[in-house]
Amino acid sequence: MATASELRPRPAGLDALGAATWTSVAAALLLVFFVAREADVTMGGQLQRIFYFHVPSAWIGYLSFAIVFLASIAYLRTGACRWDLLAHAAAEIGIVFTTLVLITGPIWARPVWGTWWQWDARLTSTLVLWLTYIGYLFLRSLASDQAAVGRLAAVVGIVGFLDVPIVHFSVQWWRTLHPSGPTVANPTTGSGLGAPELTAFFASLLAFTLLFCWLLSLRLRIGRLAQRVELEEIERAVAETR
Amino acid sequence: MTEAGFVTKTMWLAAKDLRIELRARDTLAPMLGFAATVALVLAFALPEASSGNVGVVAYVQAGFMWVTVLFAGLIGFGRTFEVERAEGALDSLLLVPVDRSALFVSKALSNLAFIVVLEMVLLPLSALLFAYDLGGSWGALVAVVALVDLGFVAVGTLYAALAAQTRSRELLLPLLALPALVPVFIAALELTADLLLGAGFDAVAARGWFGILVAFDVVFVTAGVLLFDAVLD
Repeated sequence: MATASELRPRPAGLDALGAATWTSVAAALLLVFFVAREADVTMGGQLQRIFYFHVPSAWIGYLSFAIVFLASIAYLRTGACRWDLLAHAAAEIGIVFTTLVLITGPIWARPVWGTWWQWDARLTSTLVLWLTYIGYLFLRSLASDQAAVGRLAAVVGIVGFLDVPIVHFSVQWWRTLHPSGPTVANPTTGSGLGAPELTAFFASLLAFTLLFCWLLSLRLRIGRLAQRVELEEIERAVAETR
Repeated sequence: MTEAGFVTKTMWLAAKDLRIELRARDTLAPMLGFAATVALVLAFALPEASSGNVGVVAYVQAGFMWVTVLFAGLIGFGRTFEVERAEGALDSLLLVPVDRSALFVSKALSNLAFIVVLEMVLLPLSALLFAYDLGGSWGALVAVVALVDLGFVAVGTLYAALAAQTRSRELLLPLLALPALVPVFIAALELTADLLLGAGFDAVAARGWFGILVAFDVVFVTAGVLLFDAVLD
């Protein structure tokens, strides 16, 4: 029977990654709140700082779902469990960050646009993306045959991601209101994106990316440990019947 | 006797599904009944055509028409593997000496037949009941419907096969399929609303929505053919 001491200790690399993550998160917070200048009032003034969290969250969301796509293809080709675990882990984290995008957006939009939600191209395609991977996670939890979960989920992981560009173009033509890149970042009218704002933005992007890597490593470790516990329970059950 | 080809086997499999439906009548008839009730319920939300804003009315009419087709279609697609599942015949079906993609194409063809019959009943009937003014654009509407059906059936059949292997088939199919079908739905809606507002085929074809529909059809028919093997193993 396995005891805690027999389980693999937490790898040192994971702790180092955690330390790097939280250091960069602290640095990014300082830069975002104290170095980046206040934005023009038409962009929401102080409220515009939410952009330093909103955009990196969106980036992590897309990164996660791209990983789900690639890991799903790799799983269908090789059948190796680790790809399925990677796809599952990335989908869960992607949902968390896409949810953050859908929460931070309206907080900014309410005072600036005067409405919580607009059926605008980028908002709509983000919502479609979110619903697609909610469906993906439901499929994982509802599959009746546990052995088939990986295969079924991989199909949705691939099909869902193939749909992203088509959804993007169709809602783009449908209607668009969302400000793109520099408009949101513009700190003062006509001044463009200043060095302090760019520094804060890229620091935040780095912090979010490290946070993603750390969360993904933790989630993969949990998944591997869960597989191991399952295996040992089966072995024990087999040993008891002998 | 020589081995039958891919096309022949696919046709046999599709013909089998259609023959079962002709005898049992347990998919198409409920689909039609469901479509009629959806249309009835939606009718109460329809603004009066005489209320003034013709553009809004055209969009609402087109939207209701496609919502009805989408919901009734998903109800029908949900039953794609019902016969095999209920009789425990899925394993026998998998033993048919044919490529899995033929299985996908045959199931998609029988679903296509269902949805085409549904539309052949629903579209003229709703044109009659809701006084659609299509003028001479029926031909253009048929082209739009054909492109929409292809993508709808490809996604619907693939996801129906997925959902059939879960504990909650009826809920999971729309949950998975509706977000994926958003581009098809928007394109169908825009094109149909244009036709209702009196645009000709050329004006509609120039709007680029046909491009979205064709791209969707190509991507998802290909994805269905390639991925079906992974769904049924």
